[in-house]
Amino acid sequence: MDKIVVVNYDKCIGCRTCETVCSLVHEKRINPSESRINVVKYEEIGANIPVLCQKCEDPACAAVCPMDAIKVDESLGTYIDYTRCVGCKMCILVCPIGGIGLNPANKKVIICDLCKGDPQCVKSCPEQALEYVDVSKLSIKKRREGLEKLAKFLEMAKI
Amino acid sequence: MNGYTNKILFVNLSDNSAGIIPTEKYIEQFVGGRGIAVKLLYELTPKNVDPLGPKNALIIMTGPLTGTIVPSSGRVDVISKSPQINLLGGSNAGGFFGHELKYAGYDGIVITGRASSKVYIDIYNDDVEVKSAENLSGKGVFDTVKALRKNDEDTQVACIGPAGEKLVNLSGIAFSMRNYAARCGLGAVMGSKNLKAIAVRGTKGLDVAVPDQLKQIADEMRERIKDTPSYKEFPEWHHKLFRVLEADAKTFFGNYDNVLWDGRFEAYENAEKFVKGAELKLQSCFGCPLRCWAYINMKNVGKASAVACQGTLTSIVNFAKIKDFNKVWEAYLLCQDMGLDTGGTSATIAYAMDLYSKGILSKTQVNAINLTFGDGNAFVSLVKKIAGKEGIGELLADGVKKASEKLGEAAKKLAVYAKGGQELWLMEIRPFKGVALSCAVTDSGSHNRAAYGLCEFYYRSMKTQAETVAKNIVGTEEAAQPTRYEYKPKLVAIYEDMHTLADSLGVCSIPFMPVGLDLWTKAYTASTGRETSPKDLMYVAERIRTLERLFNIREGLTRQDDTIAERMFSEPLKEGPWKGEALDKVMFEKMIDEYYALRGWDLTGKPKLETLKRLGLEDTCA
Repeated sequence: MDKIVVVNYDKCIGCRTCETVCSLVHEKRINPSESRINVVKYEEIGANIPVLCQKCEDPACAAVCPMDAIKVDESLGTYIDYTRCVGCKMCILVCPIGGIGLNPANKKVIICDLCKGDPQCVKSCPEQALEYVDVSKLSIKKRREGLEKLAKFLEMAKI
Repeated sequence: MNGYTNKILFVNLSDNSAGIIPTEKYIEQFVGGRGIAVKLLYELTPKNVDPLGPKNALIIMTGPLTGTIVPSSGRVDVISKSPQINLLGGSNAGGFFGHELKYAGYDGIVITGRASSKVYIDIYNDDVEVKSAENLSGKGVFDTVKALRKNDEDTQVACIGPAGEKLVNLSGIAFSMRNYAARCGLGAVMGSKNLKAIAVRGTKGLDVAVPDQLKQIADEMRERIKDTPSYKEFPEWHHKLFRVLEADAKTFFGNYDNVLWDGRFEAYENAEKFVKGAELKLQSCFGCPLRCWAYINMKNVGKASAVACQGTLTSIVNFAKIKDFNKVWEAYLLCQDMGLDTGGTSATIAYAMDLYSKGILSKTQVNAINLTFGDGNAFVSLVKKIAGKEGIGELLADGVKKASEKLGEAAKKLAVYAKGGQELWLMEIRPFKGVALSCAVTDSGSHNRAAYGLCEFYYRSMKTQAETVAKNIVGTEEAAQPTRYEYKPKLVAIYEDMHTLADSLGVCSIPFMPVGLDLWTKAYTASTGRETSPKDLMYVAERIRTLERLFNIREGLTRQDDTIAERMFSEPLKEGPWKGEALDKVMFEKMIDEYYALRGWDLTGKPKLETLKRLGLEDTCA
């Protein structure tokens, strides 16, 4: 895995543009149910959480697939070989984050393919709530963001 | 046709029958949304239809761009005959209901009849069922939405609160947790049909004609929106909500009698402190980058989503002069939950406060409530009474005009409302001649469906921009000056048509102008595959606008109805930046003459035969 889509859910405004763009790019029509990314909402607390495949290094979906239809590309991670997929949905059941979907139109399992390395959801997100990040820099990025929050907290504590 | 689902769901609640109206035959003439809805209302209702009777139709329409990937494409237009103004009533709502309805396979829903007991309509793709809503009877909007969602937040709910159930004319229809078709008493229409809610979930999606091209257009639209001042300001609006109104000198207080209320700065500061102290999370409607609303959680007071910038939250402060923002928030949450039009309710309560202070309403009449300006507890008590039509609430439930008619001449003189009896939205009208004109001539209920964003609005804070827009539209910068009567008829007519188009295409009027008609036209063609031009679309808007007038004429409208409350003429502003401004009757009537002429209507406000022929409406004329 080289790069993944990182979700900054505190930035997400819940507009669901990522969903419509994803379905348009992959299915040439508009339908959030056919999108590889979905914004899960908890409207009562104002939370919007985009969920998509996080490109696990040791993917449970691939391990459980009885047809070996889920393969791992060295650079782009998990992808589905539709010539082998029988639609058993085991991958959906074992994915720990709900990152795999089912296209209701043709009942095919759908999973983020990072648009072959140029994820369109990231490009169209108006708030940069989605970022395409080099995996090797991920932890240092998160640490820095964590420290910034801590610094703000310490600043507040001074007053 | 692509971009449409080509089906409008028709439900008659009297006999539980349902059917499909094909969208196709209305597309060429009326495009969608507001346009098709008005056409359907005209066709499906008899002359002089009782707004709260079973023969009235409640129509919720999406547009061809609703549910596509263009920005702000989650909107629905709601049309019916309004019980409040007894004319065409329309209100538009954003949020997440519109696209879900389309993904379920419907361009719109038409409801007629009356159920024998309280029901809701449950829609999941092709499955449409009328179910009992007895257990939801009397429940607030928030609980109703929660109950019908059954933990699936993608299920979208249109519902009424207790106020709509009681047929309160100040009630609206809530679309899920925060978006309201608030105006014109449409909640009462829904209540009169014994319809508590419509729950919809759709997984079918939408086909568009040229997907890749549509994506490119949507990208360009988002970029244009990001270049607008609104886009940059919206995240801040929740902090400086009142300063925006003040900067444009649109502020007034109480029952339109005060501009420089000395408590205002304290009220603004309290509001700003409140918002800064609350948990705040910016939100957007479907497909929109604008994030013009926010989820706000104030510990110990309550949580909800709100647009803190325009007519609703702020109106409680402006009308009732309440400084304690905790109370304002409490009152706002209550209005939302009861399913009331917060703006209209605030105006009505301020009116009652004014009457009480002048002795026109007695202590007994107001149920011994301390109904004075500034008293937040009194405001909250009154909201409850209005929602339940109890005591003084019975008198006030149908808004300012109807209350004034029951109270006699002294009360009538103090009443302020727009055409037909719709409360004005939150701004002083007297200096803004264009807005005043649109209040009088509008035929779709609320005038914010016609003049929102008119360039006079922001003349004081963004003069150059206002002048540029005015020059582009009517050819002279002077048209932007609020107090000028000249050029306003043309300006208003063009804004009306733009609003009509936004509401008919199924997108929001806030980004509509800055994005520009050229791109919306391209988006329409890329979605539907139907070739059109900006000129053709403006022509469709003109047709829709004239059909709205024809509906109102059918229901008894005459030129005398095209006016606003007398006080706006007879009582000049006593103070503030527009001191001395009032509406001049002669100039006002001249504007109306000119407006009619531009529309091709005669001096009585009736469309001329040649106009009907030009617009292809000659068969519609009653």
